[in-house]
Amino acid sequence: MDSDEQNISGLLDDQSTLDDRRTSSSLSNQVISGESKETLISKPEIASKWLTAYNDNLCSLYTLTACICFVDLNGDGDQKLVIADLGNGVQGMKLNIYKGTFILSQLTLIDCPSGVVSFYMDSNAPRIPAIGVASGSYLYIYKNLKPFYKFGLPSLEIHPSEQDAWNQLVADKIDASQLKVLLENLRIEVGEASLTARSQRLIDLTDPGVIDDFIGRYKDQPLKRSTIITCIATIKKTVDEDNNLNCLIIGTENKDILIIEPDAFTILTSVQLPSIPVFLEISGLFNVEYRVIVSCRDACIYTIKRGFKTGRLCVQLNSQPVGLVRYNNNIIVGTMDQCLSCFTINGNCVWKINQQSGITCLTAIEVEILGLTLIAVALESRTVVFYNGKSKVDTIETENVITSMKFGRYGREDNTLVMVSRSGSLSIRILKRTAKFTSIESDFGEAGSGSTMKMNIPKKTKLFIDQSVREPIHRAFQQDLYRLRLVVARAYVKAIAASLNPMSSNAVDPLKLSAQVHGLGPVFRLILEIQNTSLDQPSYNLNLFFYCDVKIYRIHRNFIPVPNLQPGYIYTFATKVECVNELNVSDFIKIHVVREGDSTPIITAIINMPSSETPV
Amino acid sequence: MSLFSRLLSYLGLKKKEVNILVVGLDNSGKTTILNNFKKDEDKSQEIVATIGFNVESFHVNNLTFSAFDMSGQGRYRNLWEHYFKGIHAIVFVIDSSDSLRLVVAKDELDLMLKHDEIASKPNLPLLIFANKMDLRDALSSVRISQALGLESLQERPWHIQASNAITGQGLQEGIQWLTEQLINQKK
Repeated sequence: MDSDEQNISGLLDDQSTLDDRRTSSSLSNQVISGESKETLISKPEIASKWLTAYNDNLCSLYTLTACICFVDLNGDGDQKLVIADLGNGVQGMKLNIYKGTFILSQLTLIDCPSGVVSFYMDSNAPRIPAIGVASGSYLYIYKNLKPFYKFGLPSLEIHPSEQDAWNQLVADKIDASQLKVLLENLRIEVGEASLTARSQRLIDLTDPGVIDDFIGRYKDQPLKRSTIITCIATIKKTVDEDNNLNCLIIGTENKDILIIEPDAFTILTSVQLPSIPVFLEISGLFNVEYRVIVSCRDACIYTIKRGFKTGRLCVQLNSQPVGLVRYNNNIIVGTMDQCLSCFTINGNCVWKINQQSGITCLTAIEVEILGLTLIAVALESRTVVFYNGKSKVDTIETENVITSMKFGRYGREDNTLVMVSRSGSLSIRILKRTAKFTSIESDFGEAGSGSTMKMNIPKKTKLFIDQSVREPIHRAFQQDLYRLRLVVARAYVKAIAASLNPMSSNAVDPLKLSAQVHGLGPVFRLILEIQNTSLDQPSYNLNLFFYCDVKIYRIHRNFIPVPNLQPGYIYTFATKVECVNELNVSDFIKIHVVREGDSTPIITAIINMPSSETPV
Repeated sequence: MSLFSRLLSYLGLKKKEVNILVVGLDNSGKTTILNNFKKDEDKSQEIVATIGFNVESFHVNNLTFSAFDMSGQGRYRNLWEHYFKGIHAIVFVIDSSDSLRLVVAKDELDLMLKHDEIASKPNLPLLIFANKMDLRDALSSVRISQALGLESLQERPWHIQASNAITGQGLQEGIQWLTEQLINQKK
């Protein structure tokens, strides 16, 4: 293979230049230690938490955070650093493997890399991981720094009109310019992304000579439409251990996520997304339960769970994301509007911190010895800021704008931060053993003014929730209560109008009538008490009338003339009532107090009679 | 020889006991170096990563050394300071092929020398083994002493010795320097 030769020649080159490199690197080390001493004196913050282990300003690397990874290349615990260099974006793409402070090997890449991962593809005894390089529409697998396998993404369907146009050209029915017009029309119809790479290239060409040359060279080859890998990540397959089998997760330009099993390179799952994935964050195990957090080019974050064929919308961002990190169960995303935001997995914003300048990249810093996970945010203002949750805990000033960085175990050092700057320099920093991350107090004010301050609103209690549920019930109850009161009031008015109440509020004859029923039946004794409640006016010419159902009761004295009623005194009258009904039903008896010669009663008492005993 | 040793014992130098502290980053070769000083029958064939610390004793030039072989792993490095008391010398071992972590070694050395217990004894000798000198990408002892900033140590007697703990090269020279220092101090 081509790249194999390249590999060997690269190795030879390395060996010849190794000594030079070593001396130069150690010299640069000296220079740097000298510089750091000076800065230590000049700056008040003496205790930097990071040691500068290596600095190379001349290596001219152009890479992405996704293209840096640490690989235990020989399975001996001595981790190597793999950086895929994008060259100048068109050519000179390389895979650099660093050991310590020098380059161990350099492999040439054919296409622009979009991501590098280290993964275990088999369960063989010396656990040696493979390096996977996503580049163009292929995934190149290296084992022991040798090309091992090239996995091509499945090719996509070609639009029938496009195929037809090219067929016509081959059959000499149309010429190159007609083909170009046909393809241009098709592009307007279906969009550029649905055309093959060959047609896209042809549309871009303008010089007729070049077009003829291009067509002459490619027209007889079969038309193929392939997609491009945009991002890559790994997931543990079954067991959550350091060197266990992995699966690969690939995002493509065709708006889907593929999960690939690296034993035979079969596609296990494919998930369709509404847009093109850019950043991937993985949690869980493939065979148990997993969640993939994807940020896409439509500035939305989607989540994918095991067993789902489509992504679920999680957050719609205001600006394009530049970095995505999973932090505990939250998503931390840096966006182009200088914001660092934290969202829950359900898409609720937890906090948001405005940065002083644009964010270039993000990475998670997992310090195992401290049990901490920090977020490192590289800014355009040549600083790297470290956040523990939402509190700022540390900053590093750098000479250049850091554009990609990765934290992990390098060599035998657990806490190593690798940073590549915009000018292409590589810097390796090691976290001091004695470093403690406490929040920078003085920065709190700034952060407070910049960030959206959260109001101190107490949580909704259970009581509140219960109350809000009860509210409609309460309203219905109130309504019924008013209705009841209305009914009562109406009845009251009616009673007053008919003088059906035992209290007379009449100004002339204020009387009070009460009645008692003695006995068990069938013969009762009815005792009536009448009182004149006025202060000084006696009542005259009053009579008591009894009204009842004659089929049920027989009253001995149906009519009792009432003597002169003096104010304040209680007058007692009595009569016998006999229940004559054989079924012993009970009924009411009405007692009216009537003035002689008047037709409406002054007051009325209604006595609900008790049910009578059966006659012996 | 027997006459000489008798003479030494008259001078009160025989079987003096000294405690030395052997520190350095993980995988620098501390245990391997000490294994070389042991008698042939006590030597262990396989060297594994030290957990916590080991105590080894051996005799060189009428001195009985009790060496505290500390673990160099990051999580055990905070144990070092608990053994600073009552030691007579420090042996600091460096993996000269690990150019990346030289800065970590410097940090640990500075931390140790700044510790009250060590700083209060400015004549406590410091022996540095630039170990793994045989490896292809090993730095020279001069370069290491520059990187560690040893020239800034003014009062403290120090010595850097390139060594190869597997073959034993350089170890005797280093320990010879240490014994001379210790004997001089005893006088």
